[in-house]
Amino acid sequence: MFAKEAYLTSDVVRTSVRPSIVRDRAFDAVFVSALEPELPMAYRLAGYLMADQAEAQDAVQEASVRAWRGWGNLRERDRFHSWFSQILVNVCRTRLRQRSKRRTLDVDEVDLESGDPFRASLARDAIGRALSSLSRELRMVVVLRYWGELSLAEIADRLNIPVGTVKSRHHAALQVLRRRIEPAEGGTR
Amino acid sequence: MNDSELNDGLDLEMDRRLTQFARGTREPALPDEVAELPWTVQLGTPRRKPFDFLSNLPGGFSGFRRTAFSLARVGATLAVAGSFLLVVGGSNGSGSAADIVPPVPTPHPIGVVAAPSGPEVVIVTTNGVVDDVMADYIAGAVRRAESDGAAAVIIELNTPGGSLDAMSRIDTSLHSKIPTIVWVGPSGAMAASAGTFITLSANLAYMASSTSIGAASPVAANGADISTAYGQTEAAKTMSIASTTMRAIAQERHPDAVAWAVATVESAQSYSAQEALAAKGINGMADSLADVLAQADGQTVTTSAGQVVVHTKGAATVTVNEDVIQSFLHTLDDPNIAFILLVLGVLLVVIELFHPTLVMGITGALCLALAFYGSGSLPLNVLGVVLVILGIGMLVLEPNLPSHGLFAIGGVVIFIVGAVAFYGSPGPYLPSAVVAWPIIITMAAAAAAYGLLLVGMLMRLRRQPIPVGAGLVGIDGVVGKAARVEKDLSPAGTVYVGRESWSARTKDGSAAARGSNVKVVGQEGLTLIVEKLD
Repeated sequence: MFAKEAYLTSDVVRTSVRPSIVRDRAFDAVFVSALEPELPMAYRLAGYLMADQAEAQDAVQEASVRAWRGWGNLRERDRFHSWFSQILVNVCRTRLRQRSKRRTLDVDEVDLESGDPFRASLARDAIGRALSSLSRELRMVVVLRYWGELSLAEIADRLNIPVGTVKSRHHAALQVLRRRIEPAEGGTR
Repeated sequence: MNDSELNDGLDLEMDRRLTQFARGTREPALPDEVAELPWTVQLGTPRRKPFDFLSNLPGGFSGFRRTAFSLARVGATLAVAGSFLLVVGGSNGSGSAADIVPPVPTPHPIGVVAAPSGPEVVIVTTNGVVDDVMADYIAGAVRRAESDGAAAVIIELNTPGGSLDAMSRIDTSLHSKIPTIVWVGPSGAMAASAGTFITLSANLAYMASSTSIGAASPVAANGADISTAYGQTEAAKTMSIASTTMRAIAQERHPDAVAWAVATVESAQSYSAQEALAAKGINGMADSLADVLAQADGQTVTTSAGQVVVHTKGAATVTVNEDVIQSFLHTLDDPNIAFILLVLGVLLVVIELFHPTLVMGITGALCLALAFYGSGSLPLNVLGVVLVILGIGMLVLEPNLPSHGLFAIGGVVIFIVGAVAFYGSPGPYLPSAVVAWPIIITMAAAAAAYGLLLVGMLMRLRRQPIPVGAGLVGIDGVVGKAARVEKDLSPAGTVYVGRESWSARTKDGSAAARGSNVKVVGQEGLTLIVEKLD
């Protein structure tokens, strides 16, 4: 549902494909071979960032299109991995912002039978369910840290914020999660 | 996780739990449908262009290529405009008068009334702004009259003023070996600003009735008051030079005329023919050339060859006309033509920037060159010119900026304001000039029509349904498309339309298996109603 709304307002829809950026197949083959290994991780990150399968698919797609457009301007091809995940994080961040302007969907309220695999696996554990109580910024740090398995410096690079900020957000996020979990688990430590 | 980079106080238990939890939730894997992403759609048919290999070089050489091409284009345009200016400047330089008038006595080539027996008087008819063209024309005619041994040169003057340079050149050529006569006429003519200096510096000056002379205070080239344009010192200097020049000219004419002549400069006074005559500024009033010839006859004047008695009675008149190039260049001084040329030039150059054709750019550069040549003798107002250019620029930018027509409206308004303020106030040398209202209104209306057309087109474009072809499926245009079942419809599930997954259910409530082909027949909110195809 969100996917379509977000999709309709995303700039992928607004900018049609211009014939001038049609390039030859060899060029694209190189791009595809660079992109393909990135996709599974990108999909997982997007999925846990947004807790929505359809949005994750759209985000990966949008990030791929953006990467494809900008590919010609990427000077250091060996930086593709971090460059692409930066694009993905930006796309997700924009989509999260757009979503929060519409309505939010709490993981707790979601019917587990809805079949969304991301929501289902988050709902398996209290800590997964607690993730939805994090703010957008804290959630991004947590997902990149634990699902993306990135170092704090790498997270700072992807989010384009100082390492110190990443560190403090990481701390804050864990505190919020604990506060959220403890009542449910009877204060065990 | 790498604990070494974590600082103290981190909730290690939560850290561990999250790490474990995240590792346990590696699912789900990327669905195949997502893996076949949109670039395959965009591949299309590769279009080979010359130099295309440049854009495939590492480092994005397409930008370099584009820059190089536009630089070359601008260079070519400037070269054409520059050579044109050189040609114009060359044909118009002071040396060129020799080409027009050979130094040897010539048989009268143009408009000759042959009268070999009696004396001959050369007539020069001037009209419009005092500029280099007029200066060349007068200098050439005077020189020819000298070499032909004419009895006198009569300059029929009607001018709103013009440039200081041209005026001094005319003054110089009026001090010749033969008597020079300025006749401000016919009726209704004027000798304003620079024209006043020219009239008074001739050996003899006559004015037709209902003509005027004067209004000669110095202003800056842009028409602004000199004290604001150049500062007080410079203003005083210019004013003092102008009044000193005028004093000297008038002194030569008649001592009584000095105060009157200086007033035309210092307080921008303008006078009728009668007033000028009463002040002894002119020698008499004459309503026709014949009258001038009759009155001038027998007068003693001081030429550069000494005291001469003018013999013009019954003289044959030879009219010297401007040649084709001179009259063409002189036409450019018209305030309206200079304005139209500038607008056209700017428009063409701007269009060239967006749609490179070279022809437009060169034509535009030519128009601009001619416009600036023409406006050299006009009191151009820099602010007006800037506003006109800005207005045109905003109109052209309109389709490229999301302004919803505001740029077009603003552009038209700024254009009108600029056109009205295109010329500043007149002065001793410079004429008063305005752009005619019909021209402003016509151009603004054309610009507004263009803007409306453009905004209308953009609006239509915006309302258009998003095409399905490009892997982008909008809310419109889905009905009627073929779709493939993504998740079994039993009867609700999801289908792929283009590359987008939609919730869907079958119309008749039957089931459809994953991978089977269906057709979208309707839509309820964001749920599609589909029918099985097979």
